[in-house]
Amino acid sequence: MTRIALVPGCLALLPEYASVIDPVSELREAVRTAADWLGTDATVVGGPQARRLGASVLAGGARATTGERSYLVVGNGSACRTEKAPGYLDPRAEGFDKLLGAALAGTDAAALASLDQSLARELWADTAGLSELSGLLDGARLVGIDYDGAPYGVQYWVMRWER
Amino acid sequence: MTLRLRRHAFADTRPLMMAIVNRTPDSFFDKGATWQEDAAFERVRSVVDEGAEIVDIGGIKAAPGEEIGPAEEKARVVDFVARVREAFPELVISVDTWRAEVGDAVCRAGADLLNDAWGGADPELVDVAAEHDAAIVCTHTGGVTPRTRPYRIEYDDVVRAVIDDTLGYAQRAVDAGVAPESVLIDPAHDFGKNTFHSLEVTRRLGEMVATGWPVLVSLSNKDFVGETLDRPVGERLIGTLAATSVCALAGARVYRVHQVSETRQTVDMVWTIAGRRPPARAIRGLQ
Repeated sequence: MTRIALVPGCLALLPEYASVIDPVSELREAVRTAADWLGTDATVVGGPQARRLGASVLAGGARATTGERSYLVVGNGSACRTEKAPGYLDPRAEGFDKLLGAALAGTDAAALASLDQSLARELWADTAGLSELSGLLDGARLVGIDYDGAPYGVQYWVMRWER
Repeated sequence: MTLRLRRHAFADTRPLMMAIVNRTPDSFFDKGATWQEDAAFERVRSVVDEGAEIVDIGGIKAAPGEEIGPAEEKARVVDFVARVREAFPELVISVDTWRAEVGDAVCRAGADLLNDAWGGADPELVDVAAEHDAAIVCTHTGGVTPRTRPYRIEYDDVVRAVIDDTLGYAQRAVDAGVAPESVLIDPAHDFGKNTFHSLEVTRRLGEMVATGWPVLVSLSNKDFVGETLDRPVGERLIGTLAATSVCALAGARVYRVHQVSETRQTVDMVWTIAGRRPPARAIRGLQ
């Protein structure tokens, strides 16, 4: 059995960026659940910053891996959902995130593989890890959607699959 | 080191606001606004709402004026301390007095801290603090008589004098039986000091903090701020907060103030710049 989880590359999850009042408390809880489910030895998938975030998330894990392989994929949707979003409002962002969210929730590896990478870049989406995720999801089934929201104009998902 | 103010303990990561509550008809800043007991009580309620951990209740203004004997001082503060104690069990009650006799009475009424602004003028005050397991503020005044103004006082090194005197006083308190974690030191801006002295003490406050004793600063609307900026009493908040920032960066632990929320914001900002407190809620650029 292989376990796979997706978490967003939200830097507010890092301990060095902690606040008195956690601005991402619900997201953090969902990420914690996913990381515990994976175990501390999971392989992190994503760019260099994403790997740092993934390592930090896993380091606080409550459970050791039981020998099965597991992957923590770091990535998220657009960062252009509102005027206050990091990339400002782009009217294409919502549709992009809807399609991407459906592909993830539907475990649609083919749709993920054919993601419009140039639109993703224009919408500041963090999809570096998602192309690798498409390979991992081949033959997998969705275990749960722990988070789906864009509280700061950036689309976050926390999802878990296994195969 | 954890600071213990009788029943109340505070981790050393936390700066504390001590709000001034005058039971006087003639203090320089509020000019008798809380002379009536109910007005003073409302002032306590208001500063508690603003988040002050400590109130500092005083029955005699610092400047010279009509002589107030111990009986009158007690009449002004003791029953009031009891009333505040009953209404606000979690609040630290400090009383601004130099008299052992008054200190004893207010500790019996529930005070936690004796704020001796006059540098140990009454040698028995430390015994009273020890007897009640109360905390004490050890200030530097250069040896002046209570309620006198500084006149042509000079120091070879004002900070050296401040540290020697406050540490000497702290040692006297500990020798008398006051718990070491219940002793604070205060350079006492403007007390036995001209403006140049108070500015130097502010600039070099880190040397006091380095002694390891928790440092209290009382800067609020004082004359050294007024003389520095040429501003009358009602226009010294900005200068006070600037001086507060410098002391906060150096690591002062307790701030004796008229304006609680303004000072709290200033100290929180500096404390966070210094890396001793996280931002309240940071998400910009981190989404």
